[in-house]
Amino acid sequence: MSAIRRFLRVPEATAGAFILALLLAMALLAPLLFPGDPQAIAGAPLLPPFHDWSLPLGTDRLGRDVLAELFHGARTSLAVGLAAAAAALLIGAVVGTLAGFAGGLVDEVLMRVTDAFQTVPGFLLALAFVSVVGPSLGVVVAAIALGTWTGPARVARAEVLSIRERDYVAGARVIGMHPLEIAFREILPNALPPVLALSSVIVAAAILTEAALSFLGLGDPNRVTWGGMIAEGRTVLRTAPFLSIVPGIALVLTVLGVYLAGEGVVETTATRRGLS
Amino acid sequence: MSQFTISRRAVLAGSAMLLASTALPTIGRAQTPKKGGRLVVAADSEPRNLNPAIVASNGVFFISSKVVETLAEASFDGKDGLAPRLALSWEGADDGLSATFKLRDGVKWHDGKPFTSADVAFSALQVWKPLQNLGRTVFRDLEAVDTPDALTAVFKFSKPTPFQLIRNALPALSSVVPKHVYETGKIEDNPANIAPVGTGPFKFAEYKQGQYYRLTKNTDYWGKDEPYLDEIIYQVLPDRTSAAAALEAEEIHLAAFSAVPLADLDRISKVPGLKVVTKGYEGLTYQLVVEINHRRKELADLKVRQAIAHAIDKDFVVKTVFLGYAAASTGPVPKNDPQFYTADVPTYAFDVAKANALLDEAGYKKGADGKRFSLKLLPAPYFNETKQFGDYLRQALAAIGIDAQLVNNDSAAHIKAVYTDHAFDLAVGPPVFRGDPAISTTILVQSGIPDGVPFSNQGGYKNEDLDALITKASETLDSAARTELYKTFQKKVVEDLPLINVAEWSFISVARDTVGNIANNPRWAVSNWADTYLES
Repeated sequence: MSAIRRFLRVPEATAGAFILALLLAMALLAPLLFPGDPQAIAGAPLLPPFHDWSLPLGTDRLGRDVLAELFHGARTSLAVGLAAAAAALLIGAVVGTLAGFAGGLVDEVLMRVTDAFQTVPGFLLALAFVSVVGPSLGVVVAAIALGTWTGPARVARAEVLSIRERDYVAGARVIGMHPLEIAFREILPNALPPVLALSSVIVAAAILTEAALSFLGLGDPNRVTWGGMIAEGRTVLRTAPFLSIVPGIALVLTVLGVYLAGEGVVETTATRRGLS
Repeated sequence: MSQFTISRRAVLAGSAMLLASTALPTIGRAQTPKKGGRLVVAADSEPRNLNPAIVASNGVFFISSKVVETLAEASFDGKDGLAPRLALSWEGADDGLSATFKLRDGVKWHDGKPFTSADVAFSALQVWKPLQNLGRTVFRDLEAVDTPDALTAVFKFSKPTPFQLIRNALPALSSVVPKHVYETGKIEDNPANIAPVGTGPFKFAEYKQGQYYRLTKNTDYWGKDEPYLDEIIYQVLPDRTSAAAALEAEEIHLAAFSAVPLADLDRISKVPGLKVVTKGYEGLTYQLVVEINHRRKELADLKVRQAIAHAIDKDFVVKTVFLGYAAASTGPVPKNDPQFYTADVPTYAFDVAKANALLDEAGYKKGADGKRFSLKLLPAPYFNETKQFGDYLRQALAAIGIDAQLVNNDSAAHIKAVYTDHAFDLAVGPPVFRGDPAISTTILVQSGIPDGVPFSNQGGYKNEDLDALITKASETLDSAARTELYKTFQKKVVEDLPLINVAEWSFISVARDTVGNIANNPRWAVSNWADTYLES
């Protein structure tokens, strides 16, 4: 309870949490508020916002409801952001723990692989991966995770290196626990907090990467995505700028919210550490 | 050669003059063409090979048609829709085994050498027939070209070839290149492919990659007093939104080939000093087509194809996807074709209830989730409009219980997926109608085409009646009988729906009011512009 109260005492954390809660509500309520296919043609094409109250944000070039697309787009953005971050953290934590705990040749091999991935810019990697395998939601998540797991891997390894010398690890060895059991039951849980601190950055980056991929036409074409909406609006930027601006604002707010909330979490934990 | 750069100052000075010109009274405009001036045009692609005799494509013609001329050009009022260029007259023999061309006298190549029938013979036999993308089909049976004198070329065919087809192919496929430049070395590697030498009203001056192409006036041109312009600059502007901005800023005079997006036309038509021209592309019609993979058992059923045809609201497509700059199709030949088009074909009115009934009849009942079956839909990525129509088609199919999953690819992957791997159920394609169904339309329906031939029937469709009809038409020499066969062809295609024609559209030009003689032939953007002028 007190952790939450402390969290809420940080103003940016409150703002971030508020935005995230709103976004989450949008994503969860989308199928209830806008049942059916959000890409269905709902009215006359290129209706400006705030003209027809049954279509409050107007319609796009084919006459699809922008508000419905925005709500359903929130689902895609959040799903991709969270799934990609979870995948990246999982891969990163496992690789980092194995490398740090095993040491020697295993460490060398795993870390060189990590280096190899780090030398290629994450976005290019995602771009290449999606254009080879073909765009679908799962592939996009995998592509983003592929470019972002290296950060968590390095942090986890550094943490494991220090933890594995602790007494309780030596104790676990003495009682004959299997090395993998030691690595994943004793060490990993203790190495996790700094790795998790990376999560907000990764989620925000993943949402942006997904938007960029969709913008370039490499998102899942059967789902509404904010990046895709911006790309479609671009052709009519001069005549109907709201088609690009509306999803653009949503994207900015989301990334901002994730960053602020993440910042708040770090701040809160830092205060707690400072107090203890 | 004088150094040429487009400086900001020159552009500003030029545009200030342009601005001043628009302020002048406009009485007597477009009466007598003015001489001189530099026309600046937007170019959205930079073709490497500028030899129109090898690469017969609009991107190449746009620049090279001013330099390299064809035997004849398309015309609104000429006989058979043609106007003479390098040839003055043409005639086909009754047996279809020869065609005689009388050539223009006193024509000189840009390097000063005289143009003769030997150049025509060389171009036809060494370039059009073996090397040209479209010439390969049309001139397949060309055996020899006799040159009894310097101004007569007689084409000899090994099999009877309809002269109507040869005639219709003249504007696009008969670019004549100089024999003396091309006869040494490999034709494909000749430097004149990059800096073409021709007989046209403009000479190729220079090309700066990523910046511009420059053409200068040919003072020895055969046309009396032509050309009017001193220079044409093709300013490379790959981004479609920048062409509109450049026109408004008076940096360019003309943006052809719909370089200005359709959605911007309404706004730009209200800008003073600019005009939107929809004419001048009648000979270059694109068709919006739903390609069907008949290997899918559901799509092999005619009722399902009819249901899909009934589910598409062609008027909506014309109005929203093309913003009115298109026409709804009735069949495989576009409405604006003067020779072959017939309206006497079955029609499929937009009728969702009927489409649903047809699908029920075919035995594909709706499941509990309201879906009958799933399809893979591949919209071609070349145009914004093909992609948008893909989005529309998905919704139209959803309304009749067909769940279409869109698959987006880049150009190369799309061509491979559809025309080589056949990894599609429905595809959206933009084939081009080139004035004669035998050039590039029948190939969309004909069976027995090897895998991997792009823009051909790769949907596994086989209809012996239609195949026989296509073969018969390709051998029929009498124009009227041949035209009649193609009318039957249209009817049969619409009856059996090997593919669904949705809309046909062409390009739009946006030009400054000062550009004169725009769109005065059906292939204006890719014609020689000898009579184009600038008021100033």
